Amino acid sequence: MPAYSGPTLALSLSIREVEAGYDAVRALHGVSLDIAQGETVVLLGTNGNGKSTLLKCVMGIVRPTSGSVALDLDGVAHDLTRLSTEEIVSLGVAMVPEGRRLFPRLTVEENLLLGAFRPQARADIRKNLAFCYETFKVLKERRRQLAGLMSGGQQQMLAIARALMSSPRLLLVDEPSVGLSPLLVSNTISMIKKLKDLYGLTVLMAEQNFHQAIRIADRGYIIVHGEIVFVGDVAALEQNELVKNYYLGTG
Amino acid sequence: MFSADLLANAVVAGVLLGGFYAAVAIGLAIVFGQLDIVNIAHPAFVIVGAFTAYILNSRFGFDPVLVGLLAAPVFFIAGVLLYRIYFIAFERTGQESLSGLAFFFGVMFIIEVSLIMAYGVDYRLVQADYIGRVWSIGFVDFPLRMLVPFSVSALLTAGIYLYLSRTFLGSAIQAVAQDRLALQLMGADPVRIKQWAFGLGIATAAIAGSLLIIIGPVEPSVGRQYIGRAFAIVVLGGMGSIPGMFIAALILGIVESMVSTFAGPSWSPAVAFGVLALTLALRPAGLFGRT
Ligand SMILES: Nc1ncnc2c1ncn2[C@@H]1O[C@H](COP(=O)(O)OP(=O)(O)OP(=O)(O)O)[C@@H](O)[C@H]1O
Ligand SMILES: [Mg+2]
Repeated sequence: MPAYSGPTLALSLSIREVEAGYDAVRALHGVSLDIAQGETVVLLGTNGNGKSTLLKCVMGIVRPTSGSVALDLDGVAHDLTRLSTEEIVSLGVAMVPEGRRLFPRLTVEENLLLGAFRPQARADIRKNLAFCYETFKVLKERRRQLAGLMSGGQQQMLAIARALMSSPRLLLVDEPSVGLSPLLVSNTISMIKKLKDLYGLTVLMAEQNFHQAIRIADRGYIIVHGEIVFVGDVAALEQNELVKNYYLGTG
Repeated sequence: MFSADLLANAVVAGVLLGGFYAAVAIGLAIVFGQLDIVNIAHPAFVIVGAFTAYILNSRFGFDPVLVGLLAAPVFFIAGVLLYRIYFIAFERTGQESLSGLAFFFGVMFIIEVSLIMAYGVDYRLVQADYIGRVWSIGFVDFPLRMLVPFSVSALLTAGIYLYLSRTFLGSAIQAVAQDRLALQLMGADPVRIKQWAFGLGIATAAIAGSLLIIIGPVEPSVGRQYIGRAFAIVVLGGMGSIPGMFIAALILGIVESMVSTFAGPSWSPAVAFGVLALTLALRPAGLFGRT
C-alpha cells in the first residue's frame, strides 16, 4: 500500500464554554469538549441540537460569541477562534461536511485534487492520491466521472477521501450515515475506523446513529438543545437513560 | 442566388467570425458561466480594449494584438478592483442578483459615456500591414483581418481551457459557484478565488478588444451589439464549458454569416436569439452543459 503522509505530531483539541449561534438563534450554550491524540469521539444528538454548529466552530465557519477553541500541536496552542478556515485547514484539520458537499460538476479526480488545495498539501499530492485510489478502489475506476452522478455511498467515500487529501491530523465527520442504506452506513463507519487505525487519525464524528457510532467511538458526548448533557466512555453511554430513550427505543 | 463558392465563402467567413466571437464570450464564460455574475459590462471592457489598441497603434504604431497582450495585466487589475467593489457593495450582503445587474449596467454606461466624451462617436481604426491582405485557397477567401483574430482567439481559448482544467486555481474557479462552503473547507478563500477569476475574465477583454478593432472600425457604443451574442454563446455552450463556448461561437458565426449572405445583413443581429431559443427548446442545459 502506498505511504500516506499522515499525522506525526502530538495533538489535542479543547473546546471550552463555547456560545454560538446564527443571528437571533442561539445554537450552543457553554459547550465544552476535549479530544486527545488518537481518540475517536462521537457527538450524539438528534436533529437541530447543535452538532453541526459545534463542528463549524472548530473549522472557523461559525464564530463563537464567547468561549475558546484551542488546538494543541506538539505543545503549541493555536486559538482556532482567531484563525481563518484556510489557516485551520493548514494546521491539519479537515472536515467531511454534512450532506457531503462534493463539487457535483467536477470529476471525482478534480474533487480529490481540490482536497489538496493548501500549498502544504500539494507536496504530498501524488502520494495521497495513490493512497486514496488504493483505499477506495471504486474512486479509481470512476475517476473521470462527475461526482454528482455517483451513488450516495460512493459520494460519501469521495467526501472522506477528499478530506484525507490534505493529510489531516484531526478529522471532523458530520453525520456520515445520513441518506445511506444500513449496509453502506456500516461500511462507511468501518472505513473511518480503518483509516483511523492505519494512520493514527484523531476523529470527532457527529452522529445520530448510536449503534453505528459506538462501534468505533472511544468516548461520546450527548448534546441536547445546544448543551452537553452527558459525557462518558462507550460502556457508560450504553447505560445512559437519555440514550435509552432517544436511541434505543427503550427506557 | 445560390452557388457552391458563395456557400463555401459564407461558411469560412462564419467560422472566422465565430472564432472571434469566442474571444468576446470567453471572459463571460468564466464570469457568468462559472461564477454566476451577470457582468453585462463585459462588452464595454472589450470596447475599452479596442480603444487601447487604437491609441497605442495610432500614437506609437504598436501592433494591435501586441497591445492586447500588454494591456491584459492592467485589465486584470481593473477586474480585481471591480470585483472588490461588487463584493463589498452587493455579494457580501446577499443582494447580488438584481442590484448586481443594475451595478454592471451602470459600469457599462459610465464606460460608454467616458469614451464618448473623450473620443466622440466617430469610428476609429488601427493600421497593420496584414489588415488589407487576403489569402485565397481555390475560390475561398481568407481575409487576414478575420484570420488573425480567429487564430489569436483560438489560442486564447486553448490557453484558458488548459488553465481551468489543469491548475489548482482553475479547478477552484470551477468549484467556487458549485459549493462555496466546501471550497472553503478545502482551504481556499472563495472571495479571493472569485476575485482572481473575475480579473482573468476582464483581462481577456483587452485581447478581444484588440481583435475587434482589427476586424473593423469601432465606436464607443458597438459593445451593445455584443451583449446578446456573448451571453447567448455562453448559455449555448453550457454555462462555463470552454470547448462548448468555442463551438457555440462557431455555430453562431456560421449561422449569422449564412443569414447575412442569403437573407440580408439586417437579419444577423436577431440570429443570436433565434439560435439560442431553438437550442434551449431542444437542450435546456445548452449544447455542452455538465448537468
Ligand atoms: N444557517 C443557519 N441559520 C439559522 N439557524 C440555523 C442555521 N443552521 C442551524 N441553525 C439552527 O441552529 C440550531 C442547531 O443546528 P445544527 O445544524 O447545529 O444542528 P444539528 O445537530 O447538526 O442537526 P442535524 O442533525 O439536523 O444536522 C438549530 O436550531 C437550527 O435550526
Ligand atoms: Mg447537522
